[in-house]
Amino acid sequence: MSVLPSYAVGVGRWTASDSLRAIPLLPRNAALGLLHGYRATISHTYGDVCKYYPSCTAYSVAAVQQYGAVVGSAMTAARLARCHPWAKGGVDDVPLRENFRHDITPQGFVVPGSTGKD
Amino acid sequence: MDLLSFASSATETSGGGGFDLIGTILWPLKWLVELVLVAWHWLFTAIGLPAAEGLTWVLSIVGLVIVVRSAMIPLFVRQIKSQRKMMEIAPELRKVQEKYKGKRDQLSREAMSRETMALYKKHGTTPVSSCLPLLVQMPVFFALFSVLNDVTRHAQAGIGGVGLLNAELTQEFYDAKLFGVASLHETLIDAINSGNTTAIIILVTLVVLMIASQFFTQLQIISKNLSPEAKTGQAYQMQKIMLYVLPFAFVFSGVFFPLGVVIYWFVSNLWTMGQQFLVIREMPTPGSDAAKAREERLARKGKAIDSSGKVVSMEKYQAEQQRLVEEAERAKAAQPKRQQPVGKQRAKKQAQKQSGPSGGNGPSGNAKS
Repeated sequence: MSVLPSYAVGVGRWTASDSLRAIPLLPRNAALGLLHGYRATISHTYGDVCKYYPSCTAYSVAAVQQYGAVVGSAMTAARLARCHPWAKGGVDDVPLRENFRHDITPQGFVVPGSTGKD
Repeated sequence: MDLLSFASSATETSGGGGFDLIGTILWPLKWLVELVLVAWHWLFTAIGLPAAEGLTWVLSIVGLVIVVRSAMIPLFVRQIKSQRKMMEIAPELRKVQEKYKGKRDQLSREAMSRETMALYKKHGTTPVSSCLPLLVQMPVFFALFSVLNDVTRHAQAGIGGVGLLNAELTQEFYDAKLFGVASLHETLIDAINSGNTTAIIILVTLVVLMIASQFFTQLQIISKNLSPEAKTGQAYQMQKIMLYVLPFAFVFSGVFFPLGVVIYWFVSNLWTMGQQFLVIREMPTPGSDAAKAREERLARKGKAIDSSGKVVSMEKYQAEQQRLVEEAERAKAAQPKRQQPVGKQRAKKQAQKQSGPSGGNGPSGNAKS
């Protein structure tokens, strides 16, 4: 299993006062929970199979963080389709959003970004 | 499990006329699974096995495993060829590994992965097989599960499957009993409810064997086929824990899946085990214990692996090594010797000395640059 790229982990911290703003982030965090769970368990039984860096699961984590559960899943599907036996492989990063408003925690979950007021 | 119950509930509603997405996606696969099953069944019947016997249908399921796994052999061969090519880039790969030796922080590991992957791409080779084949197997398994699951419903309704598994064959499959007692559509729960001791014994035995084969396959990989670099770090620790935990997932499959599916899975596991055994024996990960064992085995037979990864006789190997050493020496000799920079004054003095017999590389020869 490959290591997460540096843009998929951050120093963001969860604050309870942000609960309301975190509601729209629930779907992607639920998806991230599944992905991190998969990466910690089943992924190991396959060993290293991915032809790319970041690996397909790591790519999926970053894509869901950046674009949400729906678009992220679609991007993951596209990536998996690219990871076929005749592919060349190599480095294939998630295009980062320029206006990414959220923060990423060290565990790789997404929390509302700091508003700048506090 | 959620997905499976979803799939089975989706197939149940398919009769109601509503749009059934999973059923539609699986339809071609189900058709193929039925085709393969019926084809094998026809073959076994043709060579004299009783058509309605459970064993004939079990062998058809084994045949299905053979077809599915054989279809993936070209991918496997590709991987082997790629592995051979890996030997050629080994020196460059080692350079990258040396660069990040002992660095366990995330950024170094990321940089190392990036460089390694870029290197693979540059040389058009990679030791890994890609992710898609792993996923492709899942719908096949799903389709089989769905076909075998439907048999009960279709047989009771008196209809056939989606393709060649017609009403008659469906009924035959439904009535087929392994060893005359265990129905292929029965799960462990069914067997316990009906108090069918033989079926319980068969299912429990299969589950235990499945756990054992999965464990053994993983153990082989972890204990023999990992390079020393892969044996450090958290991922390896996790892999070791998973070795003991994951096989027990099969307990669930044994309880909830019908006997036909369990048999498919078990035979498929055996195939994986055999394939893995071959890989570890014949094309182990460079640097792993298995690779050392292979070199020793070859040395005992008077053979060795040359620089391109081919097995050659010991004489050829030594000749090649000799040639490589000579080439390296020649390259070294051809390289211009580095001259210690000297000041203008000193250069002038040395030039004067050169004319004398004892001139030459006085201090510059020993100086470490």
